[in-house]
Amino acid sequence: MATIALRRLVKRFGSTVAVDDVSLDIPHGKLVCLLGPSGCGKTTTLRMIAGLEQPTSGEILFDGAPVSNVPPQRRGIGMVFQNYALFTHMTTYDNLAFGLRIRGEPRETVDGEVRRMAEVLELTAVLDHPAARLDLSTMQRVALGRTLITRPRVLLLDEPLNNIRPGLREMLRAELRRLQLDLNQTAVYVTHDQEEALSLADQVIIMARGKVEQIGSPDGVYRRPRNRFVAAFVGSPTMNFLPCEVTSRDGEPHLAGPGFVIPAGRRPDLGPRGRLIVLGIRPEGVRLGEGPVSAVVMLIQPAGADQIIELAVGDHRLRALIRPSLRLTIGQQVALDFPSDELHLFDAATGEALDG
Amino acid sequence: MRGLLPLVRWVAAVAVAAVVLMPVVWAVSISFKPPAEWAAHPPRLVPEEPTLANYQVLFQVGNPVGVVAEMTRTAEPVTRAFITSLIVAPLATAASVAIGFFAAYAVSRYQVGGPMLPFLALTTRMFPPVAFAVPLLVYYRMLGLIDTRLGLALMYTGFTVAFPLWMIKGFIDSVPRHVEEAAILDGASRWRVLFTITLPLVKGGVAAALLFVFILNWTEFLFALIFTSRHAITLPVQVSYYAGAVGRFYGPQAALGIVASLPVVIAGYVIQRHLVRGFTFGLVK
Repeated sequence: MATIALRRLVKRFGSTVAVDDVSLDIPHGKLVCLLGPSGCGKTTTLRMIAGLEQPTSGEILFDGAPVSNVPPQRRGIGMVFQNYALFTHMTTYDNLAFGLRIRGEPRETVDGEVRRMAEVLELTAVLDHPAARLDLSTMQRVALGRTLITRPRVLLLDEPLNNIRPGLREMLRAELRRLQLDLNQTAVYVTHDQEEALSLADQVIIMARGKVEQIGSPDGVYRRPRNRFVAAFVGSPTMNFLPCEVTSRDGEPHLAGPGFVIPAGRRPDLGPRGRLIVLGIRPEGVRLGEGPVSAVVMLIQPAGADQIIELAVGDHRLRALIRPSLRLTIGQQVALDFPSDELHLFDAATGEALDG
Repeated sequence: MRGLLPLVRWVAAVAVAAVVLMPVVWAVSISFKPPAEWAAHPPRLVPEEPTLANYQVLFQVGNPVGVVAEMTRTAEPVTRAFITSLIVAPLATAASVAIGFFAAYAVSRYQVGGPMLPFLALTTRMFPPVAFAVPLLVYYRMLGLIDTRLGLALMYTGFTVAFPLWMIKGFIDSVPRHVEEAAILDGASRWRVLFTITLPLVKGGVAAALLFVFILNWTEFLFALIFTSRHAITLPVQVSYYAGAVGRFYGPQAALGIVASLPVVIAGYVIQRHLVRGFTFGLVK
């Protein structure tokens, strides 16, 4: 068993607050992604879990027991670093064997484990190669193997696939996930790539400026973003935002945007007339053809299975993801609809989602 | 035109080598010349009557005859100075590089002593060394370190330690912190990390520092001259003894110079393999 709990964790470097009052629980056997833009405190959080940084305040619990006084060597942590941090003066074999040798395991045990791990990660052919001469994806697997071989209670991964070229990245990602599921390994995965987080994680923790913005399942953070930041950060292409005002028509609540009025659907939390709201709609939620919103096609970007259309609505730009069979020309007038179940509404001042 | 370039390169290389090696070649030549040819005009590179007398004089083996034997009777055999140099220089070099390595690690990883410390360490090299001689002479007298091998070794350690500190610090700075952290998370202690991870990764820098400091210590003249008189004279001082009031004994002097340079040549040869490896065995950025 290995569960991690962070309680009101704070880390300051001088006057900058890197991690600001973070509390979260990581259940056993789950892969949790810390997702956020660079500088959001995700790596610092990871390093505090590892014990490489001391929290300024707050507590870290492993299986319910505080670990503040446990040095990193004895936390049972395995960590894969962004640049793999291989021991470049050693061979693949010696890299894999390092942790076991430190533990004073007998030669035969070390040899057996190394060969077994090399088998699993397909490193047998490069066991005698110097680590400095391996290609990046192989290095990544060596780093992973070196970490897993000591059977860590918790596996920490700091943007481990950053340096891998796209096609291979998806493959390694799937491989990693399979391995994690097979081992039932508790893992914390740091990334700034929302697509990676959504495809990999059991649970996504979105951070910004040192704070946790939202915790949820990949589906949850995509469908029900708690605020504008999460809404904009998760999903690609990015969600469109339009300023709106609450109004009513025929006694039904409506939203008045730049040049359009649309029904707001049944929302008890909409607030009084005249309230300023930001309407969010994902490009894949925009319907083209008929509707109350008129727009002009500004740009057409084919994207394989879809095409991304950039549209002007009043002074605002928004993007729509549509079927490639739909032929459009630049400058063409089109009608749009924003179906009410595709709408995300945020308070204009706070950026918090209304639908709570 | 293409075919010319290698030729031009070859000529340039030979020219540079000739300039650099000329003094060495000349010293070798003199060391095999009898006294009459030492300063003969016009100078000849190849001795007319080659002799081993100059070398015999140094170690006082056999019975050198003639003028050389007569002239150098006053000088002591070089064996003692040789032994002194062979003790003092390696000892001081090892101490200096060891201290420099730990200091470099402390400065690079923990900013020990603040940002000014590495600079302050260099101040020992900013004055003419002789400025330190008089105060040190006083202390050395009180401590009984004058004319001792230990005294010299201590002094050489102190005066050279800034070099390995700076040279190795650059190498340690370039070892990614993550590499050490990875080893720590694998269970290694700080010391273990230092010796099994960091040291092997910076061994090119350590090798360079060893060679550099060894050459400094091996050839140091001023302090050796001032702080030793009889028991702990070193080779460079001994070399100077062949230019005395009676005249200049170029032959034995050249012979001693050649003999004295051999340990450095050997040390350089042994270390050079690591120097190259240190620079080419790259790390992942």
